[in-house]
Amino acid sequence: MPITKKPSQDSVELFVSGRIDGALANDLEVTLLETMRSGTKTIYVNLAEATFLCSAGLRVLLQHWRQMKNAGKVLWLANPSPEVDSVLTMTGFRAQMVEGAPPPA
Amino acid sequence: MNFVAEHRLRNNPADAGQLAIWMEDFAKQARLPLSVRQAIDLALEECVTNVFSYAWNDGREHWVLIRFKADSHEGSGSAEVEVEDDGREFNPLAFPPVDVSVPLERRPIGGLGIHMIRQLMDSVTYRRENGRNILKLVKRITA
Repeated sequence: MPITKKPSQDSVELFVSGRIDGALANDLEVTLLETMRSGTKTIYVNLAEATFLCSAGLRVLLQHWRQMKNAGKVLWLANPSPEVDSVLTMTGFRAQMVEGAPPPA
Repeated sequence: MNFVAEHRLRNNPADAGQLAIWMEDFAKQARLPLSVRQAIDLALEECVTNVFSYAWNDGREHWVLIRFKADSHEGSGSAEVEVEDDGREFNPLAFPPVDVSVPLERRPIGGLGIHMIRQLMDSVTYRRENGRNILKLVKRITA
């Protein structure tokens, strides 16, 4: 399963593996919507096993990051793989979305 | 070493997986370094996604030509991919660059695909010929 969900007391961690192409980005959007509707305050999207992240995936992540923020909640990206980290860096997503990333200068 | 291959891709979601398969074959046959393979893989995905999104609005079946070429000697050279379609005139390079310093709260949603293509490739050129859009992506191979 490319997306698995691990709820804990105050948060939910989504583990996304493989190629986040257009199709998986759509599945991720559905999963994020379901997770947000459950009312959780913190969502982690764990990208340690993701090998590819395209702009469709980035748009899904950005839209839901904003929605969570507007609701006073938070979405973090956790443990991006080197390939995904490179994409997050080149698009300026890393500083604000990756948990533990240094803030922008 | 020289490698050339050409494929046709339909604008049908059912065929979406073909691109990754051809890319893997190109990388293997041309013995591309991993970094080159990853860069072209992603840039090509973005390119084809843009074509499928903007080239046609007639609801009909269309084909995109994908041409792969690699030319290297003793670990140096270049890998190229050309993407050609018969859609309406669309030059992705005409879009302004994305300012990645804008905070995410205010960042426009669009333009990321083209930004990524520009960042990943050493050269990106567009031309319109005989009613067709042709985008050429080039990545250097270094020893």
